[in-house]
Amino acid sequence: MSNRDGAIVRPLRARGVRERDLEIWVIGLNHRTCPIELREKLAIPEVEVGDVAQRAIGHLPLNEAVVLSTCNRVELVGVSARGADVVEAVTAFLAEDRSLPPATLAEHRYVHRGRQAVQHLFRVASSLDSMVVGEPQILGQLKEQYRRAVEKSASARVLQRCFESSFRVAKRVRTETGVATKAVSVSSAAVDLAQRIFDDLGDKTAMLIGAGKMSELAARHLLGAGVANVIVTNRSFDRAVQLARGFGGTPVPFDQFPHYLHLADVVLGSVTATAGYVLGPSHLHEVLRARRRRPMFFIDLGMPRNFDPAINDLQSVYVYNIDDLSRVADDHRAEREKEAERAEEIVRAEAETFWRMLAASDVTPTIVALRGKLDAIRRAELERALASLATVGPDERRVLEAMTQSIVNKILHPPTTTLKQLAFDEEGRDAAEMAEVLHRLFALETTSDDEPDGG
Amino acid sequence: MEPLLLKLSLASYLVATFAGAWSLVRPDGLAWRTATGALIVGFLAQAGALADRSMHVGTIAVTGFSEQVAFFALLLAGVYLVTQVWLRLAVLGAVVGPIGVIGVIAALVDHGGAPNLPPELRSPWLLVHVSLAYLGNAAFALACVVSLVYLWEERQLKAHHVGDFVWRLPSLERLDNVNFKFLTWGFVLLTLSIVTGVLWAELYFGRFWSWEPRTIWTTIIWMIYAILLHGRVTVGWGGRRAAALTIVGFGVLFVAFIGVSILAPGQHADAFG
Repeated sequence: MSNRDGAIVRPLRARGVRERDLEIWVIGLNHRTCPIELREKLAIPEVEVGDVAQRAIGHLPLNEAVVLSTCNRVELVGVSARGADVVEAVTAFLAEDRSLPPATLAEHRYVHRGRQAVQHLFRVASSLDSMVVGEPQILGQLKEQYRRAVEKSASARVLQRCFESSFRVAKRVRTETGVATKAVSVSSAAVDLAQRIFDDLGDKTAMLIGAGKMSELAARHLLGAGVANVIVTNRSFDRAVQLARGFGGTPVPFDQFPHYLHLADVVLGSVTATAGYVLGPSHLHEVLRARRRRPMFFIDLGMPRNFDPAINDLQSVYVYNIDDLSRVADDHRAEREKEAERAEEIVRAEAETFWRMLAASDVTPTIVALRGKLDAIRRAELERALASLATVGPDERRVLEAMTQSIVNKILHPPTTTLKQLAFDEEGRDAAEMAEVLHRLFALETTSDDEPDGG
Repeated sequence: MEPLLLKLSLASYLVATFAGAWSLVRPDGLAWRTATGALIVGFLAQAGALADRSMHVGTIAVTGFSEQVAFFALLLAGVYLVTQVWLRLAVLGAVVGPIGVIGVIAALVDHGGAPNLPPELRSPWLLVHVSLAYLGNAAFALACVVSLVYLWEERQLKAHHVGDFVWRLPSLERLDNVNFKFLTWGFVLLTLSIVTGVLWAELYFGRFWSWEPRTIWTTIIWMIYAILLHGRVTVGWGGRRAAALTIVGFGVLFVAFIGVSILAPGQHADAFG
């Protein structure tokens, strides 16, 4: 890996870097910009992301770096000196790390800088940038991969603030919007519906008729939601036994399952190639009597359908087929999109607040130094003036104190507000220059180690 | 003191009504907390007003029709608040607020016939008998609301219309269980109020039962709920059938209460106007 920009980095680090000298970057690609074939090749195993981040700050003009890699994205979040152009270097680094030509990556990458980078990170953490908006895994992955970068000392003060804010924002989005509340897949919609009918799934039994992939998935969701027992039946008994073992359930022979039906609260059907319905109303009269009319929920995942729709007309029986379930999932998806707009609003506002704080902490040392300097002059001159006066009573002293104080404040007011404003606008570029000018004009001393946090 | 407390109570119930309706539209916790808080204030203020008035009258002031409406509203709010501790059914709260408003308005516009109450009825038995009866009514009223919600949600789920609102309701099984709890408590309280009425009549008037409109209707209502609970325990009546019967039971109770209070004579009517 080339080390060509290293010369710029070292002196900056040596003299103690302030935020105003820094730039935050996000360079990477995700499911929207890059086809899965390339994402697969670029993906970095989770155990390695810390090492890659560590290598990144070793080889690139970056002071801090965190590498994120999930099945939907590969990104590098980095902090460089201001003015350094790290885009090509980072792109090449990410590609070469996975032995790919940099050009393939350059086509698909996106680059965010400064406030945009912060906002992007907040969106990722809040699962607004996910393929399935609101999916909950991303935050955990983000925390884990950030932790790995910290372990390798690749992340320091600036990224710590960014990432910790992003975790907080993600939590806020989750509690204040409905972006992550409802199921958007067919099998999770089935579980949601089961919870509309049954209060507690913990004492309920599910029966799988047919061992198809769909019903296996739905059964896993049901078990995840607390369903206590699973009965599995299948034309091939071996497959039923195998699946039941996976669930810790009970297999029953296919020709025997009607005898066990009264035990089941949720019945999943996924029998393929059946002539006619597997279950019709006539099969259920006895079953319902044996259950004392406790509700039954039939989930028909079969194609053609396994359960006669007329079953739905029986008392306390609910039948949902794939179409019904996808309609529920679609409704939820639409609702999530609506909630996602509110979430975006929160993320935008939070990114702005974060940026304002970061920007203010950029110029705060300059403001403090300037104020200190003027105040020192004021006090020295005041003492001299007082010493040269013959008689000064406490009243006169107070008046002179107030007057000099007020002169200093009035002089300081415009540069202070201008600097704070500039720090926020234009991503702080002008503020950095202005601060530099102030330092030189007023011969301010740089004290970089005792900066107050925030503004 | 009493009018001031009643006005405070009215204002609180109004707040609870609007916040309760709001919590149905946007279930974000704040609306629900506001509604519950307002109900607590309304309940306490109304209870204070009732205590104040009872002190003046010399016995519990539940003797006029409008006072009974107010008393019912008070106990409904009380039962709702107590059950919220473990039931957490915000849907019910949206009904309790408006009934509180009606009850307090009734108490404000009409002070009933308490001063004419015959001296032999001014007894601690009155407090016990009437309180038990109205606690039972409150439980039946809440069972009725739970059943209405059940029927609506059940129909939506059957028809595969799973709209926004359905997701905010409790599950069918839970509504069914809660309905059964309210019915059981209502039935126990109603039975106890009949027992205390009989004992009181026997001890003080030497005649344990008098056939008059209110006792006849109470017997009918008692039988409806007895059948309902019996069917539930023995044959497992639940779901739609139980919900529908619960609503019928309360419908009869409601019509009988209004009808008897307004139209029919009898010992209860002599006393309670």
